[in-house]
Amino acid sequence: MNTNGNLYTIIYTSVIVVLVAALLAFVSQSLKAKQEANEKADIMSQMMTADGIGSKASFQEIGNAAVLEKYAGEISEAFLVNAKGEKTADIDLSDVWSPSLLKAQNNQIKKGELDAVEVPVFKFKNGTTVVPIYGAGLWGPVWGYIAFEADGKTMIGSYFDHESETAGLGARIKDDTAFQDEFTGEMADFTQGRIFEIVKGGAPKEGGKSVLDNKIDAITGATMTSQGLNEAINNWLAVYKAYLTNVKTEEE
Amino acid sequence: MDAKIKETILNPIFKGNPITVLVLGICSALAVTVTLKGALVMALSVIVVTGVSCLVLSLLRNTIPSRVRIIIQLVVVSMMVILVDQVLKSFEATYAIDRQLSVYIGLIITNCIVMGRIEAFALGNKPWPSFLDGLANGVGYGLILIIVAFFRELFGSGTLFGIQVMPAGYVPNNLIILPPAALILLGCIVWVQRGIQKDLQEK
Repeated sequence: MNTNGNLYTIIYTSVIVVLVAALLAFVSQSLKAKQEANEKADIMSQMMTADGIGSKASFQEIGNAAVLEKYAGEISEAFLVNAKGEKTADIDLSDVWSPSLLKAQNNQIKKGELDAVEVPVFKFKNGTTVVPIYGAGLWGPVWGYIAFEADGKTMIGSYFDHESETAGLGARIKDDTAFQDEFTGEMADFTQGRIFEIVKGGAPKEGGKSVLDNKIDAITGATMTSQGLNEAINNWLAVYKAYLTNVKTEEE
Repeated sequence: MDAKIKETILNPIFKGNPITVLVLGICSALAVTVTLKGALVMALSVIVVTGVSCLVLSLLRNTIPSRVRIIIQLVVVSMMVILVDQVLKSFEATYAIDRQLSVYIGLIITNCIVMGRIEAFALGNKPWPSFLDGLANGVGYGLILIIVAFFRELFGSGTLFGIQVMPAGYVPNNLIILPPAALILLGCIVWVQRGIQKDLQEK
């Protein structure tokens, strides 16, 4: 049989592609539930890591079921707020806000549709608030969670994740706990245009120790990822500004 | 076992090792060898991808139109890579490792070992030897990955498979964590191999 004819080539390629596509679609559908369960537990442990409830490694050790249980015991409220700081809808306490949902809101924020955008807030029983951020790194999206004290501006910690940043450089926003720990004790400055700053070349220091303001050190060798994360934090915290500053006045 | 099959299996492990002799698959060998766990998962993934891709393409070899054979190869290899990625994401035990390996699982498709073995072997041989050849090349690749990862995790983090083995006072060597250290280690392995296997040395 002539396997080099045009018709044969076209039919052969089409059949192979359709078969492969069907197989992949089937596998993807049948594994989806399991993958989503893994992602959910991962997001919960990321939020709790940012909030200082435990370390990411420790959550990994205890497994998905225990993470869900721990999260259920810690979370007190979850809801959406708009850019005016008003609560618009509740989020089911067993639900998390996956990066794919954050992406849609990030598009709204980037387009400047601040009247329409609604962003999630997670309040924990210890009085802390965790908010997500999302933006563009060097190769793909970066996102993460920042935890605030009850005053709405002192940071407890952070956890960042990414899709495809360079291993050993940009990927350190996720892997390097020392970078994430830099956020601890820093203050978001809602009085200025720039709420938070990841500084290339080093944040101001006193006696070798970081000054607790709104500036931290960027990652050496990961300029674009650091800048992307910086933009993500500023864009998103600008939306949370009304909500987080209101929290403060309520306390006072 | 006849001599030819034996040669097919043993050659890629040492004498014709894809990394140290053919110098293929270097990129991922540098990137995923920081921890043994990551290296092991990567090695298993590559073994499965090369083995099954070689088997499938060897079965199809007489029907593939030669003008589009590279495209057909890519379709089969990418299917295998996506399947492996999907399976890794589905299990609790491997989800975190899959996230840690991030793009490198997807990049198995660009691993020259896979396409190289398909072009050089699977398209001209019967399914069974092709399958063994694919597996053996994957094993040869994985073996080097694990040797490099052993040293990088031991001296870079003081652990093996995440378990602390170095004494408490050990200060981890940061150079070992960085990709250049993997290249240096790889160079040492090539050096040792060429010392043993004199016919590889250039005059």
